[in-house]
This record gives sequence, C-alpha cells and structure tokens, in this order.
Amino acid sequence: MSETTFMGVTRDRIDWSPRIDYDKCNDCMECDEFCPHDVFEVREDQSPKLIVKNPENCVVFCRACAKTCGPDAITFPNKNETTAYIKQIRKGEAAGG
Amino acid sequence: MDKSYAVLPCNGLDKCAGSVTREIALRLLKKTDSKIICPVFFRVSDSRYGKLAQEKPLLVLDGCATRCASKLAAEKGLKIDERINVSDMAKEENIALGLDLTLNAEAQTLVERTVAGLLSSSETVAVDQEGAAHAFFPACLSYETFQKDKFIFRLPVDEGFYFNENDVWAYVSGTHARIGVTDFVQKSLSDIMFFTPTAVGAEIEQFDDLGTVESGKAVFEIISPVSGIVTSINEKLIDAPEMLNQNPYEQGWIAEIELSDFAEDRNLLHTFSGYLPIMKRKVTEFHV
Repeated sequence: MSETTFMGVTRDRIDWSPRIDYDKCNDCMECDEFCPHDVFEVREDQSPKLIVKNPENCVVFCRACAKTCGPDAITFPNKNETTAYIKQIRKGEAAGG
Repeated sequence: MDKSYAVLPCNGLDKCAGSVTREIALRLLKKTDSKIICPVFFRVSDSRYGKLAQEKPLLVLDGCATRCASKLAAEKGLKIDERINVSDMAKEENIALGLDLTLNAEAQTLVERTVAGLLSSSETVAVDQEGAAHAFFPACLSYETFQKDKFIFRLPVDEGFYFNENDVWAYVSGTHARIGVTDFVQKSLSDIMFFTPTAVGAEIEQFDDLGTVESGKAVFEIISPVSGIVTSINEKLIDAPEMLNQNPYEQGWIAEIELSDFAEDRNLLHTFSGYLPIMKRKVTEFHV
C-alpha cells in the first residue's frame, strides 16, 4: 500500500510524479526497472509503451528516476511551487478552510 | 571550579521571554565566573567580545522563535556551544509567560530552573578548537525502539531532531544541522554498498537531494529536510557505507549544513512524536 498523505495533505492533492517527454524517450525502461514504487507501467505492443500508471505512488520530492534516464526524458513539477502549495493547503486547513 | 560561560542573551524588551533571558544571564553571572555579551553593544562592536567568546563556551539564550541571539552569534561567526530557547523551556515546564513584561512568580521559577539545569549538567563543554564543524552534535543519543518480526527499529528522542516524510532526519543546533537517514531507510535498503554525496559548498533548498545511498535492492535519494549550505559530508561513509547500517543516527550521519531559513523549513518537518507513527506505519507496510 502506498502513502495516502504527505505532511497531512492527502496524496491525491499533491501533483508530484514524473512527466515523460515521448520525443526523447527511447523505451529503454530503465526508469521502470529502477523505481520500486510501481509508478510506471510497461505496455508491450502499445504506443506509448511506457506510461505513468500510478502517479500517487510516486514519493513526493523524489526525482531519482529522472537521474537514471539516459535521454533525459523525465521531468518533475517545480519543487518550490509544490512546497508552497503544500504549505498553502496546510495553512488553509489549520484555519478551518 | 563551576562551569562558566560567555552568555549571549537576546535581552528582548518587548516580550516577557526576552526579559527572562536577561534574568538568566544575570543569575549565571552572580553564581559563576560567566561573562555577559551585551547583544546591543555586540552589534556595533566586535572587538569587545571577540576574545571572550574564544575563551569561554558560548551559551546563547533566545527568548522566542525569532532567535535573535542565535542569529547574532551566526552573523558574528561564533560557534554556539549551548543554546536555550526560553519559550520552548516554558512549554516544557508548563509555565505560561504572560503578556506582562515584568517577571511574575512563574517566570522567576523558570529562571531558577533553567539556571539550576545549566549548572547541574555534568558535561563540561569544550571551547571550540577545530572550528564549528561537528562540535554541536550530542555525545550520545537516547532512542525509542520498536520491533517488527526480527528487526528492531530505533528513533532518537533527543530534542533538536526533526524529520521529513522522506525519512531523513536533521539534528538542529543554532545555525547548523547534521543530516542523516532513519532506521527505516537503512533497514529497507538492507546492506548499503554505495554512498554518493553532494558537494561541500553546495547550496541546498529544502527537499533538494543531498546525494544517494544504494544497496543491492534500490537507490535511495537523500531528500534534505532543511535549506542551507553544505559545510561537510561524512567522508568515512564513502569507504565504509556499512556504517549507515550500523547506526544511521551517529557514525552513519550524511552531511552537515549551515542553515539558511530553518524557521521556514520547520513548517514541513516533524519532531519525534510526529514522525514515530509515520515510521511505524511505513515499517508495517513494507514487505521485504
């Protein structure tokens, strides 16, 4: 089972997961082999072959799969914006909003 | 000879907690050979107190979370040997510091207890001889332990430890922090074979990575709980990464950071009591 919250914010409200640039992706599947959280799915005989199947399994702020990607086809959302967003939600909820 | 300090109180006049720092400083002066560093004069003149801070261990007394005295010490490049935050102490002692700027009986009690605590601590604080690095970390830690199957997990209960939900700890003291991973990380990775650090001098934002640790099973990205500049890394881990498995809180520490905005970073961190249930849940859900 994956985490359901991050710093008290439900995981589905935090947009943090890899983005695949299919112009760069060469279907090597290094990222899928690397990630222990079952974020990606490899679909044989389909196009695109690699998709982000379980974005909410992705560990918030982890970008390790992007480092394994030879063609640099994986990016992540802006960390500072994500941090600010999490703080904003927490603040809103603390204030009863 | 009694323990003595160079005492730097915040001496804040607009909060009761600031007045408490002043009172603690005066009491220490009376009872020991301690000397006071006046924050107001220190701000405009380095020469008066520079030598004093070298001769005696520096005790910084902050009244509130703004930590003016700690910041002043950092600005002046002083290493803090001991630090007390009066507001935190008041919470621990269950003492309400009122809005009244003069000290009430409860505040006086807090002064007495703090001074007694400082003078009774048996550990003699060494004056800094090799620079700021490493000196701020406690000599020994206390742990809470729990077990899953045959595995025993530990978590330090000592004050000053903060944790992010990426299972990385920071021990914060003054303007410095030491960083490492928790027992959950080292146990879930099992035998760690590689430690790839970030560079000393690197400027790190909160949740940037501080390098990786790797076992035969997986690579773990070390997500920094705090922002600042990396002042040192634990080079011993490069040759002996197994130290991380032996104890990730003591000899297996990862890096040290000079903090840039801990007051802000802290908003997204847990203390021991917040992180313990998270680590327990992760341990329960983890399948080897």
